[in-house]
Amino acid sequence: MTAIGTFLRWAAIALLATFALFPIYWMLVIAMTPTGFSRSLDGIWPTVFTTENFTRIFAERPMTRWILNSVIVAGLTSALSLLVGTSCGYALSRIRFRGAGALMLLLLVTQMMPATSIIVPLYILFARVGLLDTMQGMVIGHVSLVLPLAIWMSKGFFDRIPSDLDGAARIDGCTRLSAWWYVALPLAAPGLAAIFIYGFVTSWHDFLFAHTLVHTPSRWTAANGIVSFRGEYFTLHEMQMAAALVFAAPVIVIFVLMQRWIVEGALTGSVR
Amino acid sequence: MITPRSRRWVAPGRIGRGWIWFADGPGFPLLMLFPSLIVLGLVIGLPILRAIEMSFDTLNLRRPANNGETGLHNYLRLLADQRAWNALGLSALFMAGSVAGSVGLALAAALLTRRVTRGQALVRLTFLIPWTVPAVVTALVWGVMYDGNFGVVNRMLDSAGLGPGANWLIDRRTALWALLAAQVWNEFPMSFVFLLAGLMAIPTELYESARIDRAGPWSQFRFVTLPQLRPVLAITVVLSMIMGFKAFPIIFVLTGGGPNRATETLTVLTFTTAFRDLDFAYAATLGVLALVVSALMVTGYLRLVARLDDGREVT
Repeated sequence: MTAIGTFLRWAAIALLATFALFPIYWMLVIAMTPTGFSRSLDGIWPTVFTTENFTRIFAERPMTRWILNSVIVAGLTSALSLLVGTSCGYALSRIRFRGAGALMLLLLVTQMMPATSIIVPLYILFARVGLLDTMQGMVIGHVSLVLPLAIWMSKGFFDRIPSDLDGAARIDGCTRLSAWWYVALPLAAPGLAAIFIYGFVTSWHDFLFAHTLVHTPSRWTAANGIVSFRGEYFTLHEMQMAAALVFAAPVIVIFVLMQRWIVEGALTGSVR
Repeated sequence: MITPRSRRWVAPGRIGRGWIWFADGPGFPLLMLFPSLIVLGLVIGLPILRAIEMSFDTLNLRRPANNGETGLHNYLRLLADQRAWNALGLSALFMAGSVAGSVGLALAAALLTRRVTRGQALVRLTFLIPWTVPAVVTALVWGVMYDGNFGVVNRMLDSAGLGPGANWLIDRRTALWALLAAQVWNEFPMSFVFLLAGLMAIPTELYESARIDRAGPWSQFRFVTLPQLRPVLAITVVLSMIMGFKAFPIIFVLTGGGPNRATETLTVLTFTTAFRDLDFAYAATLGVLALVVSALMVTGYLRLVARLDDGREVT
Protein backbone atom coordinates (compact mmCIF):
# COMPACT_ATOMS: atom_id res chain seq x y z
CA MET A 1 0.00 0.00 0.00
CA THR A 2 2.55 2.57 1.08
CA ALA A 3 4.95 1.66 -1.74
CA ILE A 4 2.20 1.97 -4.33
CA GLY A 5 0.98 5.14 -2.66
CA THR A 6 4.44 6.68 -2.77
CA PHE A 7 4.81 5.69 -6.38
CA LEU A 8 1.44 7.17 -7.32
CA ARG A 9 2.22 10.33 -5.44
CA TRP A 10 5.49 10.81 -7.24
CA ALA A 11 3.88 9.96 -10.58
CA ALA A 12 1.27 12.68 -9.97
CA ILE A 13 3.97 15.13 -8.89
CA ALA A 14 5.96 14.34 -12.01
CA LEU A 15 2.89 14.92 -14.18
CA LEU A 16 2.22 18.30 -12.57
CA ALA A 17 5.88 19.24 -12.80
CA THR A 18 5.85 18.40 -16.51
CA PHE A 19 2.84 20.64 -16.99
CA ALA A 20 4.58 23.43 -15.09
CA LEU A 21 7.91 23.17 -16.85
CA PHE A 22 7.12 22.04 -20.37
CA PRO A 23 6.18 25.45 -21.83
CA ILE A 24 9.46 26.89 -20.52
CA TYR A 25 11.40 23.94 -21.91
CA TRP A 26 9.64 24.38 -25.24
CA MET A 27 10.47 28.08 -25.32
CA LEU A 28 14.13 27.11 -24.89
CA VAL A 29 13.96 24.46 -27.61
CA ILE A 30 12.34 26.74 -30.17
CA ALA A 31 14.63 29.62 -29.29
CA MET A 32 17.64 27.44 -30.09
CA THR A 33 16.29 25.96 -33.31
CA PRO A 34 17.72 27.51 -36.49
CA THR A 35 15.48 30.29 -37.78
CA GLY A 36 12.61 28.88 -39.83
CA PHE A 37 13.17 25.27 -38.82
CA SER A 38 10.84 24.89 -35.84
CA ARG A 39 8.09 23.93 -38.25
CA SER A 40 9.99 20.87 -39.30
CA LEU A 41 10.95 19.77 -35.78
CA ASP A 42 10.31 16.13 -35.09
CA GLY A 43 9.41 14.89 -31.62
CA ILE A 44 10.03 16.97 -28.54
CA TRP A 45 13.80 16.61 -28.23
CA PRO A 46 16.04 19.19 -29.81
CA THR A 47 18.55 17.90 -32.34
CA VAL A 48 20.39 21.02 -33.41
CA PHE A 49 21.41 24.01 -31.36
CA THR A 50 22.07 27.49 -32.53
CA THR A 51 22.43 30.87 -30.91
CA GLU A 52 21.63 32.57 -34.19
CA ASN A 53 18.18 33.72 -33.02
CA PHE A 54 19.65 35.51 -30.04
CA THR A 55 22.20 37.39 -32.11
CA ARG A 56 19.55 38.19 -34.71
CA ILE A 57 17.04 39.71 -32.29
CA PHE A 58 19.73 42.09 -31.06
CA ALA A 59 21.08 42.81 -34.54
CA GLU A 60 17.85 43.14 -36.53
CA ARG A 61 15.54 44.59 -33.92
CA PRO A 62 16.14 47.30 -31.31
CA MET A 63 16.04 44.68 -28.55
CA THR A 64 18.80 46.41 -26.56
CA ARG A 65 16.90 49.69 -26.69
CA TRP A 66 13.67 47.99 -25.59
CA ILE A 67 15.32 46.27 -22.66
CA LEU A 68 17.01 49.50 -21.64
CA ASN A 69 13.64 51.28 -21.83
CA SER A 70 12.11 48.57 -19.65
CA VAL A 71 14.90 48.93 -17.10
CA ILE A 72 14.51 52.71 -16.99
CA VAL A 73 10.72 52.64 -16.75
CA ALA A 74 10.60 49.81 -14.21
CA GLY A 75 13.41 51.31 -12.11
CA LEU A 76 11.86 54.78 -12.02
CA THR A 77 8.36 53.42 -11.39
CA SER A 78 9.44 51.27 -8.51
CA ALA A 79 11.74 53.86 -6.94
CA LEU A 80 9.06 56.56 -7.13
CA SER A 81 6.38 54.29 -5.70
CA LEU A 82 8.66 53.25 -2.86
CA LEU A 83 9.66 56.83 -2.12
CA VAL A 84 6.07 58.00 -1.96
CA GLY A 85 4.42 54.85 -0.63
CA THR A 86 6.45 53.86 2.44
CA SER A 87 5.43 56.90 4.50
CA CYS A 88 1.79 56.13 3.73
CA GLY A 89 2.30 52.47 4.64
CA TYR A 90 3.83 53.56 7.97
CA ALA A 91 0.93 55.89 8.68
CA LEU A 92 -1.57 53.13 7.96
CA SER A 93 0.37 50.75 10.20
CA ARG A 94 0.93 53.03 13.22
CA ILE A 95 -1.59 55.82 13.28
CA ARG A 96 -5.31 55.59 13.77
CA PHE A 97 -6.92 58.24 11.66
CA ARG A 98 -10.30 58.76 10.16
CA GLY A 99 -10.62 57.31 6.69
CA ALA A 100 -7.84 54.75 7.13
CA GLY A 101 -10.23 51.88 6.45
CA ALA A 102 -11.67 53.61 3.41
CA LEU A 103 -8.18 54.29 2.09
CA MET A 104 -7.18 50.63 2.47
CA LEU A 105 -10.35 49.55 0.71
CA LEU A 106 -9.75 51.97 -2.15
CA LEU A 107 -6.17 50.75 -2.49
CA LEU A 108 -7.33 47.17 -2.66
CA VAL A 109 -10.00 47.93 -5.25
CA THR A 110 -7.56 49.80 -7.46
CA GLN A 111 -5.15 46.92 -7.19
CA MET A 112 -7.80 44.38 -8.12
CA MET A 113 -9.64 46.19 -10.88
CA PRO A 114 -8.76 45.38 -14.47
CA ALA A 115 -6.19 47.83 -15.79
CA THR A 116 -8.34 48.21 -18.89
CA SER A 117 -10.73 50.28 -16.75
CA ILE A 118 -8.11 52.91 -16.13
CA ILE A 119 -6.34 52.87 -19.46
CA VAL A 120 -9.15 54.55 -21.41
CA PRO A 121 -9.42 57.72 -19.29
CA LEU A 122 -5.64 57.74 -18.81
CA TYR A 123 -5.16 57.72 -22.58
CA ILE A 124 -7.55 60.66 -22.99
CA LEU A 125 -5.90 62.59 -20.15
CA PHE A 126 -2.42 61.89 -21.50
CA ALA A 127 -3.48 62.99 -24.99
CA ARG A 128 -4.52 66.33 -23.57
CA VAL A 129 -1.34 67.03 -21.60
CA GLY A 130 1.07 65.61 -24.17
CA LEU A 131 2.18 62.57 -22.19
CA LEU A 132 1.21 60.06 -24.88
CA ASP A 133 4.12 58.32 -26.53
CA THR A 134 6.59 59.38 -23.82
CA MET A 135 8.51 57.37 -21.26
CA GLN A 136 7.38 59.78 -18.53
CA GLY A 137 3.82 58.83 -19.39
CA MET A 138 4.68 55.15 -19.10
CA VAL A 139 6.21 55.72 -15.67
CA ILE A 140 3.14 57.63 -14.50
CA GLY A 141 0.87 54.88 -15.83
CA HIS A 142 2.90 52.20 -14.10
CA VAL A 143 2.94 54.09 -10.81
CA SER A 144 -0.85 53.64 -10.81
CA LEU A 145 -0.21 49.88 -10.84
CA VAL A 146 2.67 49.77 -8.39
CA LEU A 147 1.94 52.45 -5.78
CA PRO A 148 -1.12 50.73 -4.22
CA LEU A 149 0.95 47.56 -4.02
CA ALA A 150 3.87 49.42 -2.43
CA ILE A 151 1.65 51.04 0.20
CA TRP A 152 -0.16 47.82 1.01
CA MET A 153 3.04 45.79 1.26
CA SER A 154 4.97 48.37 3.29
CA LYS A 155 2.10 48.53 5.75
CA GLY A 156 2.50 44.77 6.10
CA PHE A 157 6.21 45.06 6.78
CA PHE A 158 5.83 47.91 9.29
CA ASP A 159 3.12 45.90 11.06
CA ARG A 160 5.74 43.27 11.81
CA ILE A 161 8.16 45.71 13.45
CA PRO A 162 7.21 46.05 17.14
CA SER A 163 5.92 49.55 17.75
CA ASP A 164 7.76 49.54 21.09
CA LEU A 165 10.91 50.25 19.12
CA ASP A 166 9.65 53.54 17.73
CA GLY A 167 8.16 54.24 21.16
CA ALA A 168 11.57 53.81 22.77
CA ALA A 169 13.11 56.13 20.22
CA ARG A 170 10.54 58.77 21.06
CA ILE A 171 11.25 58.49 24.78
CA ASP A 172 14.88 59.12 23.87
CA GLY A 173 13.82 62.39 22.31
CA CYS A 174 13.10 61.50 18.71
CA THR A 175 10.24 63.19 16.96
CA ARG A 176 7.70 60.87 15.37
CA LEU A 177 9.23 61.72 12.03
CA SER A 178 12.76 60.79 13.07
CA ALA A 179 11.50 57.68 14.87
CA TRP A 180 10.16 56.58 11.51
CA TRP A 181 13.19 57.66 9.57
CA TYR A 182 15.94 56.41 11.90
CA VAL A 183 14.30 53.39 13.54
CA ALA A 184 11.41 51.89 11.63
CA LEU A 185 12.66 52.50 8.11
CA PRO A 186 16.08 50.84 8.53
CA LEU A 187 14.42 47.87 10.25
CA ALA A 188 12.06 47.51 7.32
CA ALA A 189 14.91 47.70 4.80
CA PRO A 190 14.71 44.05 3.65
CA GLY A 191 10.99 44.48 3.16
CA LEU A 192 11.53 47.67 1.22
CA ALA A 193 13.96 45.84 -1.04
CA ALA A 194 11.32 43.18 -1.64
CA ILE A 195 8.79 45.89 -2.49
CA PHE A 196 11.24 47.45 -4.91
CA ILE A 197 11.72 44.12 -6.67
CA TYR A 198 7.97 43.51 -6.75
CA GLY A 199 7.29 46.92 -8.21
CA PHE A 200 10.09 46.53 -10.72
CA VAL A 201 8.76 43.18 -11.89
CA THR A 202 5.17 44.45 -12.10
CA SER A 203 6.26 47.29 -14.32
CA TRP A 204 8.63 45.08 -16.32
CA HIS A 205 5.85 42.57 -17.03
CA ASP A 206 3.12 45.06 -17.89
CA PHE A 207 1.81 44.73 -21.41
CA LEU A 208 -1.38 46.83 -21.52
CA PHE A 209 0.17 50.22 -20.75
CA ALA A 210 3.21 49.41 -22.84
CA HIS A 211 1.01 48.53 -25.80
CA THR A 212 -1.32 51.51 -25.45
CA LEU A 213 0.55 54.54 -24.23
CA VAL A 214 3.63 54.43 -26.48
CA HIS A 215 3.61 54.11 -30.28
CA THR A 216 7.12 54.89 -31.45
CA PRO A 217 9.11 51.62 -31.62
CA SER A 218 12.25 53.22 -30.19
CA ARG A 219 10.29 54.08 -27.03
CA TRP A 220 8.65 50.70 -26.59
CA THR A 221 9.41 48.65 -23.54
CA ALA A 222 10.42 45.04 -24.06
CA ALA A 223 6.97 43.66 -23.18
CA ASN A 224 5.57 45.30 -26.26
CA GLY A 225 8.70 44.71 -28.32
CA ILE A 226 8.59 40.94 -28.04
CA VAL A 227 4.98 40.83 -29.27
CA SER A 228 5.98 42.73 -32.40
CA PHE A 229 7.75 39.65 -33.74
CA ARG A 230 4.31 38.39 -34.62
CA GLY A 231 3.43 39.25 -38.18
CA GLU A 232 -0.03 39.51 -39.65
CA TYR A 233 0.36 36.37 -41.74
CA PHE A 234 3.63 34.87 -40.72
CA THR A 235 5.53 34.71 -37.45
CA LEU A 236 9.14 33.81 -36.93
CA HIS A 237 8.59 31.55 -33.96
CA GLU A 238 12.27 31.03 -33.29
CA MET A 239 13.18 34.70 -32.97
CA GLN A 240 10.01 35.39 -31.04
CA MET A 241 10.82 32.67 -28.51
CA ALA A 242 14.40 33.88 -28.20
CA ALA A 243 13.13 37.39 -27.47
CA ALA A 244 10.54 36.09 -25.02
CA LEU A 245 13.24 34.11 -23.24
CA VAL A 246 15.56 37.10 -22.97
CA PHE A 247 12.65 39.10 -21.57
CA ALA A 248 11.47 36.47 -19.06
CA ALA A 249 14.81 35.01 -17.93
CA PRO A 250 15.99 37.73 -15.51
CA VAL A 251 12.83 37.51 -13.44
CA ILE A 252 12.87 33.71 -13.41
CA VAL A 253 16.50 33.73 -12.25
CA ILE A 254 15.88 36.34 -9.56
CA PHE A 255 12.91 34.35 -8.34
CA VAL A 256 14.80 31.09 -8.16
CA LEU A 257 17.59 32.78 -6.19
CA MET A 258 15.30 34.54 -3.75
CA GLN A 259 12.33 32.24 -3.64
CA ARG A 260 11.55 32.20 0.04
CA TRP A 261 11.83 35.94 0.44
CA ILE A 262 9.54 36.76 -2.44
CA VAL A 263 6.85 34.24 -1.58
CA GLU A 264 6.75 35.69 1.91
CA GLY A 265 6.38 39.16 0.48
CA ALA A 266 3.47 38.04 -1.66
CA LEU A 267 1.72 36.56 1.35
CA THR A 268 2.25 39.76 3.34
CA GLY A 269 0.34 41.62 0.70
CA SER A 270 -2.79 39.55 0.89
CA VAL A 271 -3.54 36.69 3.20
CA ARG A 272 -1.70 37.81 6.27
CA MET B 1 29.45 84.84 16.07
CA ILE B 2 25.68 84.89 16.17
CA THR B 3 23.95 86.97 13.58
CA PRO B 4 20.28 87.83 13.94
CA ARG B 5 19.63 85.51 11.04
CA SER B 6 21.09 82.43 12.72
CA ARG B 7 19.43 83.34 16.00
CA ARG B 8 16.10 83.04 14.29
CA TRP B 9 17.00 79.45 13.41
CA VAL B 10 17.92 78.56 16.94
CA ALA B 11 14.92 80.13 18.57
CA PRO B 12 11.67 78.20 18.24
CA GLY B 13 10.07 80.70 15.95
CA ARG B 14 6.95 80.25 13.93
CA ILE B 15 8.64 78.27 11.19
CA GLY B 16 10.26 75.93 13.68
CA ARG B 17 7.07 75.36 15.57
CA GLY B 18 5.24 74.70 12.31
CA TRP B 19 7.78 72.06 11.45
CA ILE B 20 7.38 70.39 14.82
CA TRP B 21 3.63 70.42 14.32
CA PHE B 22 4.25 68.22 11.30
CA ALA B 23 7.16 66.16 12.60
CA ASP B 24 5.87 65.38 16.07
CA GLY B 25 2.42 66.82 16.43
CA PRO B 26 -1.07 66.47 15.10
CA GLY B 27 0.20 67.23 11.60
CA PHE B 28 2.26 64.06 11.44
CA PRO B 29 -0.34 61.84 9.73
CA LEU B 30 -0.88 64.59 7.20
CA LEU B 31 2.83 64.79 6.48
CA MET B 32 3.08 61.03 6.04
CA LEU B 33 -0.01 60.67 3.90
CA PHE B 34 0.37 63.77 1.81
CA PRO B 35 2.76 62.50 -0.90
CA SER B 36 0.83 59.29 -1.46
CA LEU B 37 -2.55 60.94 -1.50
CA ILE B 38 -1.41 63.51 -4.05
CA VAL B 39 0.12 60.88 -6.34
CA LEU B 40 -2.76 58.42 -5.91
CA GLY B 41 -5.20 61.20 -6.64
CA LEU B 42 -3.36 62.11 -9.82
CA VAL B 43 -2.65 58.66 -11.25
CA ILE B 44 -5.75 56.77 -10.09
CA GLY B 45 -8.37 59.13 -8.65
CA LEU B 46 -8.32 61.54 -11.58
CA PRO B 47 -8.57 58.83 -14.27
CA ILE B 48 -11.42 57.08 -12.45
CA LEU B 49 -13.34 60.34 -12.07
CA ARG B 50 -12.66 61.11 -15.72
CA ALA B 51 -13.92 57.64 -16.69
CA ILE B 52 -17.15 58.22 -14.81
CA GLU B 53 -17.50 61.63 -16.42
CA MET B 54 -16.78 60.17 -19.86
CA SER B 55 -19.42 57.50 -19.36
CA PHE B 56 -22.05 60.27 -19.43
CA ASP B 57 -20.43 61.92 -22.42
CA THR B 58 -20.05 61.15 -26.12
CA LEU B 59 -16.55 60.76 -27.51
CA ASN B 60 -16.36 58.71 -30.68
CA LEU B 61 -13.54 59.51 -33.06
CA ARG B 62 -15.10 57.41 -35.80
CA ARG B 63 -18.43 59.22 -35.69
CA PRO B 64 -17.67 62.59 -34.14
CA ALA B 65 -21.00 64.18 -35.12
CA ASN B 66 -22.59 63.70 -31.69
CA ASN B 67 -19.46 64.29 -29.62
CA GLY B 68 -20.10 66.34 -26.54
CA GLU B 69 -23.66 65.16 -26.10
CA THR B 70 -24.23 64.22 -22.49
CA GLY B 71 -26.73 61.95 -20.80
CA LEU B 72 -27.39 58.40 -19.84
CA HIS B 73 -27.20 57.10 -23.40
CA ASN B 74 -24.06 55.01 -22.82
CA TYR B 75 -25.73 53.15 -19.98
CA LEU B 76 -28.94 52.67 -21.94
CA ARG B 77 -26.87 51.34 -24.81
CA LEU B 78 -25.06 49.01 -22.41
CA LEU B 79 -28.35 47.48 -21.28
CA ALA B 80 -29.34 46.60 -24.82
CA ASP B 81 -25.86 45.71 -26.07
CA GLN B 82 -25.63 42.02 -27.02
CA ARG B 83 -21.89 42.35 -27.41
CA ALA B 84 -21.45 43.66 -23.86
CA TRP B 85 -23.63 40.93 -22.37
CA ASN B 86 -21.73 38.35 -24.37
CA ALA B 87 -18.50 39.80 -22.97
CA LEU B 88 -19.80 39.73 -19.42
CA GLY B 89 -20.90 36.13 -19.85
CA LEU B 90 -17.53 35.16 -21.29
CA SER B 91 -15.76 36.93 -18.41
CA ALA B 92 -17.89 34.92 -15.98
CA LEU B 93 -17.10 31.70 -17.84
CA PHE B 94 -13.41 32.57 -17.97
CA MET B 95 -13.43 33.33 -14.24
CA ALA B 96 -15.20 30.09 -13.43
CA GLY B 97 -12.83 28.13 -15.64
CA SER B 98 -9.71 29.69 -14.23
CA VAL B 99 -10.91 29.20 -10.65
CA ALA B 100 -11.78 25.55 -11.24
CA GLY B 101 -8.52 24.96 -13.10
CA SER B 102 -6.05 26.83 -10.96
CA VAL B 103 -7.52 26.14 -7.55
CA GLY B 104 -8.09 22.48 -8.43
CA LEU B 105 -4.59 22.04 -9.72
CA ALA B 106 -3.09 24.05 -6.87
CA LEU B 107 -4.98 22.00 -4.29
CA ALA B 108 -3.75 18.79 -5.86
CA ALA B 109 -0.20 20.11 -5.96
CA ALA B 110 -0.35 21.35 -2.36
CA LEU B 111 -1.80 18.08 -1.04
CA LEU B 112 0.77 16.07 -2.94
CA THR B 113 3.79 18.05 -1.78
CA ARG B 114 2.99 18.95 1.80
CA ARG B 115 4.37 15.75 3.31
CA VAL B 116 7.14 15.28 0.82
CA THR B 117 10.42 15.45 2.69
CA ARG B 118 13.05 14.60 0.10
CA GLY B 119 13.54 17.25 -2.58
CA GLN B 120 10.72 19.30 -1.09
CA ALA B 121 12.17 22.70 -1.93
CA LEU B 122 12.91 21.65 -5.49
CA VAL B 123 9.40 20.30 -6.09
CA ARG B 124 7.83 23.46 -4.76
CA LEU B 125 10.11 25.65 -6.81
CA THR B 126 9.05 23.70 -9.88
CA PHE B 127 5.40 24.45 -9.27
CA LEU B 128 6.11 28.10 -8.60
CA ILE B 129 8.07 28.80 -11.76
CA PRO B 130 5.14 29.52 -14.15
CA TRP B 131 4.24 32.38 -11.81
CA THR B 132 7.43 34.19 -12.74
CA VAL B 133 6.68 34.05 -16.45
CA PRO B 134 5.07 37.27 -17.69
CA ALA B 135 1.56 36.96 -19.10
CA VAL B 136 2.78 38.21 -22.50
CA VAL B 137 5.41 35.52 -22.66
CA THR B 138 2.87 32.93 -21.53
CA ALA B 139 0.67 34.02 -24.41
CA LEU B 140 3.51 33.82 -26.94
CA VAL B 141 4.72 30.40 -25.80
CA TRP B 142 1.27 28.85 -25.74
CA GLY B 143 0.61 30.43 -29.11
CA VAL B 144 3.62 28.62 -30.52
CA MET B 145 2.54 25.37 -28.86
CA TYR B 146 -1.03 25.69 -30.16
CA ASP B 147 0.01 26.34 -33.76
CA GLY B 148 -2.50 24.40 -35.88
CA ASN B 149 -0.01 23.05 -38.36
CA PHE B 150 3.28 22.64 -36.57
CA GLY B 151 2.42 23.14 -32.91
CA VAL B 152 3.78 20.72 -30.35
CA VAL B 153 0.33 20.14 -28.83
CA ASN B 154 -1.05 18.72 -32.04
CA ARG B 155 2.12 16.77 -32.69
CA MET B 156 1.97 15.15 -29.25
CA LEU B 157 -1.71 14.29 -29.69
CA ASP B 158 -0.86 12.85 -33.05
CA SER B 159 1.93 10.64 -31.78
CA ALA B 160 -0.29 9.51 -28.89
CA GLY B 161 -2.81 8.38 -31.47
CA LEU B 162 -5.40 10.91 -30.39
CA GLY B 163 -6.15 12.14 -33.84
CA PRO B 164 -5.17 15.13 -35.90
CA GLY B 165 -5.71 17.67 -33.09
CA ALA B 166 -7.34 21.00 -33.76
CA ASN B 167 -6.73 24.54 -34.79
CA TRP B 168 -6.98 25.45 -31.15
CA LEU B 169 -7.11 29.23 -31.29
CA ILE B 170 -9.08 29.56 -34.51
CA ASP B 171 -11.80 27.02 -33.79
CA ARG B 172 -14.80 28.54 -32.00
CA ARG B 173 -15.29 25.43 -29.91
CA THR B 174 -11.75 25.21 -28.53
CA ALA B 175 -10.48 28.80 -28.37
CA LEU B 176 -11.75 29.67 -24.89
CA TRP B 177 -10.53 26.40 -23.39
CA ALA B 178 -7.16 26.83 -24.99
CA LEU B 179 -6.88 30.28 -23.42
CA LEU B 180 -7.97 28.89 -20.07
CA ALA B 181 -5.20 26.31 -20.12
CA ALA B 182 -2.64 29.08 -20.61
CA GLN B 183 -4.25 31.19 -17.90
CA VAL B 184 -4.34 28.27 -15.46
CA TRP B 185 -0.70 27.51 -16.19
CA ASN B 186 0.25 31.08 -15.40
CA GLU B 187 -1.96 31.55 -12.32
CA PHE B 188 -2.12 28.26 -10.42
CA PRO B 189 1.18 28.86 -8.58
CA MET B 190 -0.37 31.78 -6.72
CA SER B 191 -3.16 29.54 -5.43
CA PHE B 192 -0.57 26.88 -4.68
CA VAL B 193 1.36 29.24 -2.39
CA PHE B 194 -1.77 30.17 -0.44
CA LEU B 195 -3.13 26.66 -0.16
CA LEU B 196 0.21 25.21 0.87
CA ALA B 197 0.53 27.86 3.57
CA GLY B 198 -3.01 26.99 4.63
CA LEU B 199 -2.26 23.26 4.80
CA MET B 200 0.91 23.82 6.79
CA ALA B 201 -1.08 25.76 9.37
CA ILE B 202 -3.35 22.80 10.15
CA PRO B 203 -2.23 21.34 13.52
CA THR B 204 -0.88 17.80 13.11
CA GLU B 205 -2.64 16.72 16.32
CA LEU B 206 -5.91 16.82 14.41
CA TYR B 207 -4.62 14.17 12.04
CA GLU B 208 -3.25 12.10 14.91
CA SER B 209 -6.59 12.02 16.64
CA ALA B 210 -8.31 11.29 13.34
CA ARG B 211 -6.01 8.31 12.90
CA ILE B 212 -6.77 7.13 16.40
CA ASP B 213 -10.42 7.23 15.38
CA ARG B 214 -9.44 5.03 12.43
CA ALA B 215 -10.20 7.65 9.82
CA GLY B 216 -8.96 6.69 6.36
CA PRO B 217 -7.24 9.12 4.00
CA TRP B 218 -10.54 10.20 2.47
CA SER B 219 -12.26 10.84 5.80
CA GLN B 220 -9.17 12.68 7.00
CA PHE B 221 -9.41 14.91 3.96
CA ARG B 222 -13.15 15.30 4.26
CA PHE B 223 -13.36 15.91 8.03
CA VAL B 224 -10.02 17.47 8.90
CA THR B 225 -8.30 19.02 5.91
CA LEU B 226 -11.28 20.53 4.14
CA PRO B 227 -12.95 22.24 7.13
CA GLN B 228 -9.60 23.53 8.38
CA LEU B 229 -8.61 24.77 4.96
CA ARG B 230 -11.95 26.32 4.10
CA PRO B 231 -11.20 29.96 5.00
CA VAL B 232 -7.95 29.97 3.04
CA LEU B 233 -9.61 28.07 0.22
CA ALA B 234 -12.37 30.67 0.01
CA ILE B 235 -9.84 33.48 -0.18
CA THR B 236 -7.89 31.65 -2.84
CA VAL B 237 -11.04 31.15 -4.89
CA VAL B 238 -11.92 34.85 -4.75
CA LEU B 239 -8.37 35.94 -5.59
CA SER B 240 -8.31 33.51 -8.48
CA MET B 241 -11.66 34.87 -9.67
CA ILE B 242 -10.28 38.38 -9.61
CA MET B 243 -7.24 37.24 -11.60
CA GLY B 244 -9.51 35.62 -14.16
CA PHE B 245 -11.59 38.76 -14.41
CA LYS B 246 -8.49 40.91 -14.92
CA ALA B 247 -6.95 38.62 -17.52
CA PHE B 248 -5.99 40.62 -20.57
CA PRO B 249 -2.63 39.94 -22.26
CA ILE B 250 -3.18 36.21 -22.67
CA ILE B 251 -6.53 36.67 -24.39
CA PHE B 252 -5.59 39.77 -26.31
CA VAL B 253 -2.32 38.44 -27.68
CA LEU B 254 -3.56 34.93 -28.48
CA THR B 255 -6.98 35.59 -30.02
CA GLY B 256 -7.73 39.31 -29.71
CA GLY B 257 -11.25 38.30 -28.69
CA GLY B 258 -11.82 36.12 -31.76
CA PRO B 259 -12.80 33.89 -33.45
CA ASN B 260 -16.00 35.80 -34.05
CA ARG B 261 -16.08 37.14 -30.46
CA ALA B 262 -15.91 33.67 -28.92
CA THR B 263 -13.26 34.88 -26.44
CA GLU B 264 -14.15 38.56 -26.17
CA THR B 265 -14.23 39.07 -22.39
CA LEU B 266 -15.07 42.40 -20.78
CA THR B 267 -11.44 43.53 -20.60
CA VAL B 268 -10.83 42.74 -24.26
CA LEU B 269 -14.10 44.40 -25.31
CA THR B 270 -13.17 47.52 -23.35
CA PHE B 271 -9.83 47.71 -25.08
CA THR B 272 -11.28 47.04 -28.54
CA THR B 273 -14.07 49.56 -28.10
CA ALA B 274 -11.56 52.25 -27.21
CA PHE B 275 -8.62 51.56 -29.47
CA ARG B 276 -10.18 49.82 -32.50
CA ASP B 277 -13.66 51.37 -32.66
CA LEU B 278 -12.33 54.62 -31.16
CA ASP B 279 -15.51 54.97 -29.10
CA PHE B 280 -13.84 56.22 -25.93
CA ALA B 281 -16.97 57.23 -24.05
CA TYR B 282 -18.57 53.82 -24.38
CA ALA B 283 -15.27 52.13 -23.53
CA ALA B 284 -15.12 54.22 -20.37
CA THR B 285 -18.63 53.01 -19.55
CA LEU B 286 -17.52 49.41 -19.93
CA GLY B 287 -14.55 50.25 -17.71
CA VAL B 288 -16.87 51.61 -15.04
CA LEU B 289 -18.88 48.39 -15.24
CA ALA B 290 -15.69 46.38 -14.71
CA LEU B 291 -14.82 48.63 -11.78
CA VAL B 292 -18.18 47.96 -10.14
CA VAL B 293 -17.78 44.21 -10.62
CA SER B 294 -14.29 44.26 -9.07
CA ALA B 295 -15.46 46.39 -6.16
CA LEU B 296 -18.12 43.76 -5.45
CA MET B 297 -15.54 40.98 -5.57
CA VAL B 298 -13.16 42.90 -3.30
CA THR B 299 -15.97 43.35 -0.79
CA GLY B 300 -16.50 39.60 -0.80
CA TYR B 301 -12.78 39.07 -0.41
CA LEU B 302 -12.56 41.40 2.58
CA ARG B 303 -15.45 39.66 4.29
CA LEU B 304 -13.62 36.37 3.92
CA VAL B 305 -10.35 37.82 5.23
CA ALA B 306 -12.16 39.33 8.21
CA ARG B 307 -13.74 35.96 8.98
CA LEU B 308 -10.31 34.31 8.75
CA ASP B 309 -8.88 36.81 11.20
CA ASP B 310 -11.78 36.22 13.60
CA GLY B 311 -11.13 32.50 13.41
CA ARG B 312 -7.50 33.04 14.26
CA GLU B 313 -8.31 35.10 17.30
CA VAL B 314 -10.57 32.35 18.64
CA THR B 315 -8.03 29.55 18.27
